Amino acid sequence: MGKITVNLTVNGRAVSQQCEANTTLVDLLRQGLDLTGTHVGCDTSQCGACTVHLDGRAVKACTVLAAQADGSNVVTIEGIGNRDNLHPMQAAFRQCHGLQCGFCTPGMIMTGIELVNQGQADDDDSIRAGLEGNICRCTGYHNIVRAVATGARAMKE
Amino acid sequence: MVEKSIGQRVLRKEDVRFITGKGQYTDDINLRGQAFAYFVRSPVARATIGHIDVSDAESAPGVIAVLTGQQLAKDGLGTLPCGWMVLSKDGSEMKQPPHPIMAADSIHYAGEPVAIVVASTYQAARDAAERVVVDYDELDAVVDLATAQDSDQIYPEVPRNTSYEWELGDREATMAAIAGAHHVTRLTLRNNRLIPNAIEPRAAIADFNPSTEELTLYTTSQNPHVVRLVLTAFIQIAPEHKLRVVAPDVGGGFGSKIFIYSEETAVAWASKRLGIPIKWTGERSESFLADAHGRDHLTDAVLAMDEEGHFLGLHVKTRANMGAYLSTFASSVPTYLYGTLLAGQYKTPNIYVEVDAVFTNTAPVDAYRGAGRPEATYLLERIVEIAASEMSLSPAEIRRRNFITDFPYQTPVALEYDIGGYDASLTKALEMADWDGFESRRGEARARGKLRGIGLSCYIEACGIAPSKVVGSLGAGVGLWESGEVRVNPTGSVSVLTGSHSHGQGHETTFAQLVASRLGISVDDVGVIHGDTARLDFGMGTYGSRSLAVGGSALSSAADKIVVKARKIAAHLMQSDEDSVEFDDGVFTVKESNRSKTFQEVAFAAYVPHDYPDDLEPGLAEKAFYDPANFTFPAGAYVCEVEIDPDTGVTRIVKFTAVDDFGEVINPMIVEGQVHGGLAQGIGQALLEQCVYDDSGQLMTGSYMDYCMPRADDLPDFDIAMTVTPCTHNPLGAKGCGEAGAIGSPPAVINAITNAIGIREIDMPATPERVWRAIQQAGGQ
Amino acid sequence: MELVQRVIIPAPRQAVWQGLNDPAVLKRSLRGCETFEANAAGGFDIVLQLKVGPVKASFRGEVSLTDVVDGESYTLSGSGKGGVAGYAKGSAHVTLSEPEPGRTEMRYRVDASVGGKLAQVGSRLVDGAARKMANDFFGEFIRVICDDDQVEFILETIEE
Ligand code: FES
Ligand code: FES
Repeated sequence: MGKITVNLTVNGRAVSQQCEANTTLVDLLRQGLDLTGTHVGCDTSQCGACTVHLDGRAVKACTVLAAQADGSNVVTIEGIGNRDNLHPMQAAFRQCHGLQCGFCTPGMIMTGIELVNQGQADDDDSIRAGLEGNICRCTGYHNIVRAVATGARAMKE
Repeated sequence: MVEKSIGQRVLRKEDVRFITGKGQYTDDINLRGQAFAYFVRSPVARATIGHIDVSDAESAPGVIAVLTGQQLAKDGLGTLPCGWMVLSKDGSEMKQPPHPIMAADSIHYAGEPVAIVVASTYQAARDAAERVVVDYDELDAVVDLATAQDSDQIYPEVPRNTSYEWELGDREATMAAIAGAHHVTRLTLRNNRLIPNAIEPRAAIADFNPSTEELTLYTTSQNPHVVRLVLTAFIQIAPEHKLRVVAPDVGGGFGSKIFIYSEETAVAWASKRLGIPIKWTGERSESFLADAHGRDHLTDAVLAMDEEGHFLGLHVKTRANMGAYLSTFASSVPTYLYGTLLAGQYKTPNIYVEVDAVFTNTAPVDAYRGAGRPEATYLLERIVEIAASEMSLSPAEIRRRNFITDFPYQTPVALEYDIGGYDASLTKALEMADWDGFESRRGEARARGKLRGIGLSCYIEACGIAPSKVVGSLGAGVGLWESGEVRVNPTGSVSVLTGSHSHGQGHETTFAQLVASRLGISVDDVGVIHGDTARLDFGMGTYGSRSLAVGGSALSSAADKIVVKARKIAAHLMQSDEDSVEFDDGVFTVKESNRSKTFQEVAFAAYVPHDYPDDLEPGLAEKAFYDPANFTFPAGAYVCEVEIDPDTGVTRIVKFTAVDDFGEVINPMIVEGQVHGGLAQGIGQALLEQCVYDDSGQLMTGSYMDYCMPRADDLPDFDIAMTVTPCTHNPLGAKGCGEAGAIGSPPAVINAITNAIGIREIDMPATPERVWRAIQQAGGQ
Repeated sequence: MELVQRVIIPAPRQAVWQGLNDPAVLKRSLRGCETFEANAAGGFDIVLQLKVGPVKASFRGEVSLTDVVDGESYTLSGSGKGGVAGYAKGSAHVTLSEPEPGRTEMRYRVDASVGGKLAQVGSRLVDGAARKMANDFFGEFIRVICDDDQVEFILETIEE
């Protein structure tokens, strides 16, 4: 398979990457750009650990080809906030103990932000429904639901 | 002020790296010049292997080497051991067919590794793996646990496919109690097979350094020292002092990452052979096929009672599916972690349990969250529930009549409970769940066309495994103590090293709270180090809810030693004698004086010993090993309330109440999180999860499309609370909380469903189809 | 997967039997079949492109004819390996009778199973895929031997 060049903006930075035509976006992020905060938890597009924002919408980066992201704006967990300046959704996950092993967490946070942006974080039931594509094996979701609701309030402030 | 951090909901120190995407999981590590591995796995469940042709794969682009199980066998490596010897009734040792690292001449389950392809990229390794041609001469697979003992013999040395026939308890007394009883309740049930599914798939990177001959293995392990020990002592990968095992951030374990698997072992061997770093990251499909599975019991039980419903005797006969091989701790799970728990919270005077461990052509089965204790609790709490209705007693009443109330209590199945308060948790749970108001809720639901049910379960578990002497006498191949070290740095900050391993449990916070409050310093000044054999002496790792009770106790005594030495230094600095120096809240004071030294000043003096006691070594660092005096016995009461739509069979949990007694708690926020997670896994087992093999041993539930994981919209909010009876034999009074939720919840859910439908039994998982059929049948009667 | 079907073919029994034994006819009837060649063992070597749900693979395998009762019945069995995709096995026991001259009743019992990744990821889809494959195969077979794309027939399912 031939190499292609993909040009995209990742976390506000323009990047140009050579990769195989069948490289997925998550591989490009993790291997090409060393952005290892986006995780891979499955091979059937079911777990949501790989969730990133592509042109403002949450996508599962394991199901998007790098080539499809050409010309797009990608935001990963590393792009929404940092240690000294956490995104309100990140802060809410810590505040509410919405994570344990942390493996699902980047995907959960990116989905949580999407739910708020899409107006689907108004009550617990819609948060639970909205998190349907993200699996967490550790927390039982109780505190994740709290975290998304808390993050949603903070984002509106 | 700092002292108060024990018992506080301190936010987790580890969170910041996880929420910002800076965690360092094994697959996030990349070494210079690393190659990638992909495993060729058997597509059939049972076969003899003929010729393996790797020539086509070897010449594929990017391929560095293709190594087979046959080559590995020639290199003289050992096989994967099972670390717990269980004896049969007749005194004979369990039968343990060799568990090869990669299959060389025969296949015993679908997914068993046969060869490893090493290539310059992951993609190249994966593509080349398709070109490895293996001749399999397929044999009929033995899959069904119910018939496996009478099926084709899988191993020549294992008649009836039975590894051991174990027993515990007094057979004659139990049979006599049953024969003379007023009433007996009988129950046959299956404990469904589960696949652990930590969200981070297993992974390993092996890095052999030809110049120092040191091998470093990064791996997704709950117990890196045990990995090192096994790889050295049993497999002879490298001498212990030349092998470093690092378990960095690990994305969940639930037991499945305790074991020593083929993959990290084969990768270590390949790295040594090829002299390059090699990385393997499992795909989820591989996790399904080749992670050790959990549960899978078939059980017949008889419970005997007198006129008042007092339990007189319990006879349990279980067949436990071990899969194709005995995995690392597999033999202990259906025996010492199961049979010993059959007293539950009750003073049943006679208990006799028999367990046959049965091989099948399926993936190995080993400890999964709770390990044996969920199976015991499910059996007990189901049969007690049925007994209650047969005796026309309420579920709470039959339990109360049988509760153990005097401690210590010696059960007829080996354990001695040090303390508990079962009535207190039950009373609190019934109150929180508004048990008394249930009938009106049921009526209200009926008016809406819904079936509402309520179910109770009272569990006990044995955690904090355990006195090394005791487990040794029971066949364990290892000691089960824990080590800890408290290193006070010259500026007064503290590094805590622990042999426990955190893969979600929050040790970096809990242990920091523990040590900080002992030394009267701030939690922020304590760093916790774990998961690297090069940085701490030895440790037994994290499983069986043991980290705080055992690992924490080791740290507690290390901290005590620090205070002892620091007090000596402080006394010298203040020209007083030790006995007159008090230590409180980080400050040493001479009694009835205004002389004082802070902990930081004393630490500094220890490293800059200009003015220092003559008979004392400089430095302030202490180690401790803690071997528990007994197991700990967390217990609790759970109430589940469900609503079922009779048209679809869909069960919704409308309320779940959990009251646990974990003894003393250091960080309630973390403990609650552990309970939530355990409950989700237990409810998953009760309603959703089921591992299925077809008749030929093909895994039918090998992806998230087929294996139903609990998702956010499957679960309710949980109402949880705690009662406290402090553990009597460890310095923290702590018991352990990691597994309780998964142990106590399945019977509560099933008891609620049978209550809703008005039936005696239903199998887990109670899927909509099963529930719907049960409703139809119940209606038809 | 198990399937028993019956169909009336507007062709004489001998012609149907010949078709059942003609590699060229069988190859044309089997969708995705790239090779269908007689081998030394008396059977046929085949290469077949198969797609089941998310798994697509090229299968190499062998087809053999057993239990042959000339002009009346045989069992056609095939098995193939698709590398990491796993393997597929299938057989069809075919029986012919001629209720009236020029019309043949063909009955067949099809068994199919898969292993490896195909089973793991595609098991939900295998039954449907195998059934479709059987329908496609026998339908196409009838069109080929009647040499008529529009020929009318009904594959009647007796058991599944
Ligand atoms: S890795 Fe993308 S959904 Fe699981
Ligand atoms: S925190 Fe471990 S999977 Fe969600």
